Amino acid sequence: MIVKGRSSAALAVGLAILFMLGAALAWADVTLPKLELRDTHLENGLRVILVEDHSAPVYSIDVCYNVGSRNERPGRTGFAHLFEHMMFQGSENVGKGEHFIAVLNNGGGMNGTTNEDRTTYFEELPKNQLDLGLFLEADRMRALAITPANLENQRNAVQEERRQGVDNQPYGRANLDIDNLSYDNFAYKHSTIGSMTDLNAADVHDVSEFFRVYYAPNNAVLTLVGDFDSTEALAKVKKYFGAIPSQPAPPKVDLLDEPHYGERREVIEDPLARLPRLDIAYHVPPGNTPENYAALELAVILGQGESSRFFQHLVKEKQLASQINVFVEMRIGTSQFYIIATPRPGVKIEDLEQGVDDELAAFLKDGATAEDLAKAKVQLLRRFIEIRRSSLRTAIAIGDYTVKFNDPNLINTILEKERAITAEQVNAVARKFLARGQRTVVVTLPKAQEAAASKGAQ
Amino acid sequence: MKIHAFISKSSRRALAVAVAATALLACGARTARAQDKSAPLSKVERLNRAPVNKEILRVKLPRPTIAKLPNGLTLVLLEDHKLPTLAFTMWMRPGQLADPDDLPGLASFTADMLREGTVRRTSAQIAAEVDSLGATLNADSRFGASYTTVSASGFSDSAPQILDLMSDIVLNPAFPDTELAKYKQRQAADLESQMANPNFLGQQSFRRVLYGTAPLSLTSATKESLAKLNANDLKRFHDQNYTAGNSILGVTGDFKAADMRALIERYFGAWTGKAAAPASFPASAAPAAPGITLVDRPNSVQTFIMAGDRAIQRNDPSYPVLNVMNQIVGGGAQSRLFLDLREEHSLTYGSYSRFNAEVYPGDWYAFAPVRTPVTDEAMSRFMFEFKRINDEPVPASELDDARRAIVAGFALSLEQPAQLLGDWLTTQHFGLPMDYWDTYPDRIASVDAAAVQASAKKFVDLSHMQWVAVGDRKQIQDALAKYGPVTVVDVTGKAEK
Repeated sequence: MIVKGRSSAALAVGLAILFMLGAALAWADVTLPKLELRDTHLENGLRVILVEDHSAPVYSIDVCYNVGSRNERPGRTGFAHLFEHMMFQGSENVGKGEHFIAVLNNGGGMNGTTNEDRTTYFEELPKNQLDLGLFLEADRMRALAITPANLENQRNAVQEERRQGVDNQPYGRANLDIDNLSYDNFAYKHSTIGSMTDLNAADVHDVSEFFRVYYAPNNAVLTLVGDFDSTEALAKVKKYFGAIPSQPAPPKVDLLDEPHYGERREVIEDPLARLPRLDIAYHVPPGNTPENYAALELAVILGQGESSRFFQHLVKEKQLASQINVFVEMRIGTSQFYIIATPRPGVKIEDLEQGVDDELAAFLKDGATAEDLAKAKVQLLRRFIEIRRSSLRTAIAIGDYTVKFNDPNLINTILEKERAITAEQVNAVARKFLARGQRTVVVTLPKAQEAAASKGAQ
Repeated sequence: MKIHAFISKSSRRALAVAVAATALLACGARTARAQDKSAPLSKVERLNRAPVNKEILRVKLPRPTIAKLPNGLTLVLLEDHKLPTLAFTMWMRPGQLADPDDLPGLASFTADMLREGTVRRTSAQIAAEVDSLGATLNADSRFGASYTTVSASGFSDSAPQILDLMSDIVLNPAFPDTELAKYKQRQAADLESQMANPNFLGQQSFRRVLYGTAPLSLTSATKESLAKLNANDLKRFHDQNYTAGNSILGVTGDFKAADMRALIERYFGAWTGKAAAPASFPASAAPAAPGITLVDRPNSVQTFIMAGDRAIQRNDPSYPVLNVMNQIVGGGAQSRLFLDLREEHSLTYGSYSRFNAEVYPGDWYAFAPVRTPVTDEAMSRFMFEFKRINDEPVPASELDDARRAIVAGFALSLEQPAQLLGDWLTTQHFGLPMDYWDTYPDRIASVDAAAVQASAKKFVDLSHMQWVAVGDRKQIQDALAKYGPVTVVDVTGKAEK
């Protein structure tokens, strides 16, 4: 990024930018190819979205359930994700492990993921296996097999997942603690992976209740994208899913978190880390709001791409950080803006934090330039377009948008919403939400091996 | 153990009863398990009721236009008009295999420094131009790979600007001292933090025991090589290896092949340099005996286990056989290791196997991260599966599944042009025939059980196998010692007493 009038080198870069801007303006008419969405509901409430895409002989199916770790209760953290694992353990007509076998041995790919807001299941298959994907998803929505042995098995798998991703990794605790410290509302305060104690407490009754309440057709969105005839595909969807009975609507969860006044801070001694790390989080408004879209552009301007302000100033010029990442989430409720930075070896974490503060102060003072904004918009355009490359990524995005914002057509309109954001909106979001008194800071320091040896990580 | 609480939504009320009954059995299952460690907690089961189309959707991979410019640069041009974007990928041999003995990581340093300034642009200018175009521009030289990769992507309309940037960093890097000094600081942090990563530590020790000597044994630069690196080293490496004759430039996306060729000639036509002679390697002998290396990582709550051996070169005719054998053992979540270690024995979040075929005999290995207390049990499950693939011919249906998984999977690659392009770069780089991908499905289909078993006897050979376990020494050394003599090293690879 360019700092005005700093040196002749900066001037040369500024000219280069202006030159590039000329080119950038040429993309003002590049837009997302419009997708034709066939959006319908079955009688049992299942929302079905079909998008024909004949560019390759494949299709993707995504079933997104309107449930995530936000719906968990105290004492059962991690349950939504544990339940997701149970969805691969067999159903009335699919044996344990057979889901993997059936999809992967027919050339497909598959997985499921859980986050705070939603749980999503997906397969991508050659187009001649349309019945297979629909059957597998319908059978487990209709008649999941829940056995204590399978629960015990997947409890172990999930606990290993937690060890692999959190407990046996440097910064694992920081990754969980930042949300725990910054959110007051339980829905987002606790982690999606959950605590070992709570995972141990889950029993088959919890599994069957969760299935009854949340895994009903009226609480799900089925998205099909790919090489099929949508009328024929819809007939098949009705055949496989039509008879699954609906259930009462699940209870609603409050997802708003009041801004907190006064900075929150924690210092972690991490026996697995070899370098310190600085994590900062700020509350920002929910996803799919003008303020959240402005925050998305702010994140690009501050910290995405090597020309971003943080990279050029903190990594390259001042050499305070060896790397720095900035990103913002699009949650249903109060979302977060994160800054995560590793100091250059020998740099004090306080100096790095001061450097981040100075950069933010400089931005708040002068605001986003026209170059900042143009650059952020073209990068986001590129990101949105690349999702369209794959039928699977497209299907997952539509499922997400539908469950989270009740708007499948956001796949077509998100670019316009992003483009409508002005520099003043970006500046206003920075002023309003990136305030020191509203932030949460987690500092990780490597813990000396000897001191840690007797304790062990948990 | 065969208690199934089938839940039918038409009888949701029955569910509560079934669940209440099975909840008690859960305790029973835990007790039984404590007594018999090898008994699976729950069994994988195939009901075969899901509607599968038995016909494999055979696809023909689109052929790219392949051309050689007068300067020796090979072009692979694959049109794909789905989106108004394109992507360039260049492979330049010999990559990290040209690392000098006294400067491990030089290929990687050189690639990393390409973006840090050219004779025409500063580092900051390059970054600003790339981001302003909504483009990407990256270079890296992966350890163990026989090529350096430079890639770029962006909107089709900006192809000239992207090529201008890409050719500038490849042809004219300046390696400015000020940027090099900064890069060294960032790289020092990377070298430090990777030593906290169990997977890196596993690979580091595995490659060392497997190959013994550089360059094949390397997985990373060292602090020493980073400290002594200077701009002349980078310039020399660049002059010697970054030549038109050493390089293949692939493009996929929204363009016309003839126009793209002309455009590439404009930006890369002045590049010179012949192809280097194929790299030769010191003929270090493969380890003669099996071995177990324990990488001591205090405070670990898991042990990351790897086991494997040297395998094959990419142009080896037995490549499809190894592909099928690997698919059966650990290619995915439907394969033996995953179903055994995770789905039936509850030891891990995932266990798989991989192989890398290169211009030298690459590696084959299996791996799983497991919680520390079950290190012993996991070792025994690996042993069990390795013996099984050696001793028993693979059943016909399982063989059929593995072959179908590979052949049917080509349909999916048709919407991943970057992957398709990678397939065609592979044929060019490793000297495979142009009809390689046309005939590949038939070669997979002709792999039989005897060939799979022969492949297993060669590459999954317990009398040869190299094991690496990354974990907390004081908790796992005794368990590992049951399987053979254990060599203990620290995270840097130095022997511990």
